[in-house]
Amino acid sequence: MTVDLMHVLHQAVFGALAASGFGILFNFGWRELPGCAASGALALTTRTLGLEAGWNLEAASFAAAAVAGCAAQLLHTPFLRTRFGTAGNALAVAGCIPMVPGAFAAQSVFGLIALTAPQPHNAETTLVTTMESLLRVVFTIAALGTGLSITAHIRRRRDSFL
Amino acid sequence: MANRIGPSDKMASQSGHAMIKDWINIPATLTSHDAVVLNHQELEQIAEAALLVARRLMETGSRAEVVHEACALVARGLGCDQVNLRSGYASLEITLDSGTNTITRMIEVGPLGVNYRLNHAIRKVVRRFRESSCTPAETVAEMTRLERETPRQPPWVVALWVGIACASFGRLLGIDWAAFIPVLAAGALGQAGRHILLRRGTNTFVVAAGIAFLSSTLGGLGARWAASTTVNLAMNASVLLLVPGVPAVNSQSDIMEGHPAMGSARAIFVIMLLIFIAIGVLIAHVIVGAPS
Repeated sequence: MTVDLMHVLHQAVFGALAASGFGILFNFGWRELPGCAASGALALTTRTLGLEAGWNLEAASFAAAAVAGCAAQLLHTPFLRTRFGTAGNALAVAGCIPMVPGAFAAQSVFGLIALTAPQPHNAETTLVTTMESLLRVVFTIAALGTGLSITAHIRRRRDSFL
Repeated sequence: MANRIGPSDKMASQSGHAMIKDWINIPATLTSHDAVVLNHQELEQIAEAALLVARRLMETGSRAEVVHEACALVARGLGCDQVNLRSGYASLEITLDSGTNTITRMIEVGPLGVNYRLNHAIRKVVRRFRESSCTPAETVAEMTRLERETPRQPPWVVALWVGIACASFGRLLGIDWAAFIPVLAAGALGQAGRHILLRRGTNTFVVAAGIAFLSSTLGGLGARWAASTTVNLAMNASVLLLVPGVPAVNSQSDIMEGHPAMGSARAIFVIMLLIFIAIGVLIAHVIVGAPS
């Protein structure tokens, strides 16, 4: 496997910026913003490495969410808890938001609308592309949710709220 | 409610019960309750406080499980024996028991958004219930204070950062550098418009369609003006501020954690929102003349 380091760095930087932007939108404080950026960078780095290793988008997204979730669980250790409080899970979610397949979702809805036109152009190809996009949206969101949830539940105690 | 009921009182009364139960043979069903039986008025006040906490947690982006746990902690901390909560997408119902007294109350929930700082400030308050006693009136006052005093990022800061997030998201999707600034500007203007419309109380789905149209059109026209070769991607990237990422993740968590009704409702919300966003982007594609 050959890794294009510049590409990985590019994805990490823009993943960090995207996660920080969503962090501000979700009213994170400036204190938590570096955590958001780190979470986004970590998630996008993992996903990019997964994709470069030949994994499909869903598998790479699952691995990325799991890694971000594990990193978030480390923030619950006594030393880091004083710095980040209980922000860990929220940081992991913010880091994974840039991996939500918004473009595929838009493509799938466009495809569905195109299929219902009075005389759809190239209907069979459109149907296959639309279904592919739709399934990718469903599976990728499921992969992200599963990756985040599994890591959160492994550590979880009965009174996890505390 | 004048008297304070804290965990230490409950423990003392429970140990007292255990002694009596050992000495004379009282059936377990009669001794299992707390010695302090709350009347309906007290239960009403506790229900109000617990529902207020649950409602604010829902509105600021918590999963259903966290809402249930927080609500139970608050109600038990205030002296209830048994707490049952039912969470729906637009309302919460609670049933509280103390001895033989029972009440059921309901509260409406406002639009579900994400507000990390308020959410965590509420969680901190709830956590304090384990360590110190509190009255329902103090709980309600604390919630009101948190809502009033928890800082929010200024709207222009949010708009700027959302623009940066959209442009960065665009780079991840593959837009070229020429489209970067147009997408940033379109995202920022879209967020500013969304903020204004939501403050005016406009329907969430109408806002999504309208802002998707505005941002996508501005992003597309700007990218074309900047001689970008990725106009189509720029139009999609400009609306990524609207993608309901947190509800999508929460929806799955809710189903996994035993709240399928809430999870399904969130999933339907996500699907509906995506449809409205797509409609806005589709109209923008027709106007800009870019193929969809």
